Amino acid sequence: MSAVVLPSRLTALNRLRCAIFQTSYNPTGIRTGAKYLRKRLRGPSMVRYYPQEINLSQIARQYPELELVNEIEEQRLQDVEDRKKRGKGAPKKAKTKDESRRTSKRR
Amino acid sequence: MPNVRVLRDIKARDIVRANEIARRAYLYVARNQTLPPQVRHQAQLQLNTFDRYSRPTTVKNRCYETGRGRGIMSEFGLCRFQFRLKALHGELNGVKKASW
Repeated sequence: MSAVVLPSRLTALNRLRCAIFQTSYNPTGIRTGAKYLRKRLRGPSMVRYYPQEINLSQIARQYPELELVNEIEEQRLQDVEDRKKRGKGAPKKAKTKDESRRTSKRR
Repeated sequence: MPNVRVLRDIKARDIVRANEIARRAYLYVARNQTLPPQVRHQAQLQLNTFDRYSRPTTVKNRCYETGRGRGIMSEFGLCRFQFRLKALHGELNGVKKASW
């Protein structure tokens, strides 16, 4: 034998329970979008994934009085100069459309 | 110097962090069924105008040593080969080659 509980009593109980435990009363399960506000922000931990690299050229630009020399960059510029001397440098930028290689005939 | 894919990923991470709060606010409005449909539609249109890198799903964990995108051991942030090399050199704490 079980006592019959009226549905209206059950809904009243649910509403009261929500008020006591400070949860939102949403009997129809309607979407309120609350989960997008509840979730933690992922950006701060995302930014920390890669270890910080020291950017030597940036430091040299910030503190010109230290007169730092970025040897890798100096070597690269030297190599570019050497290639130019041997006639292996990058071609001149086209000034007009006719000069560009895209329009000229393929060899 | 990290390779171009890693640089792009770093850029995506910065953009995600910069836009995260605004995106969340628009998401809240767009997905909220208690609000009028016109407002929700406007919010959805605003969501579509964000940078393509501002979506958190565009961010990919890449190997911080080589930039490889697949086979990453997420605990170490390394791809499987770099993980092996470093583990064999004893550069990863608590990692030991199994043998039985």
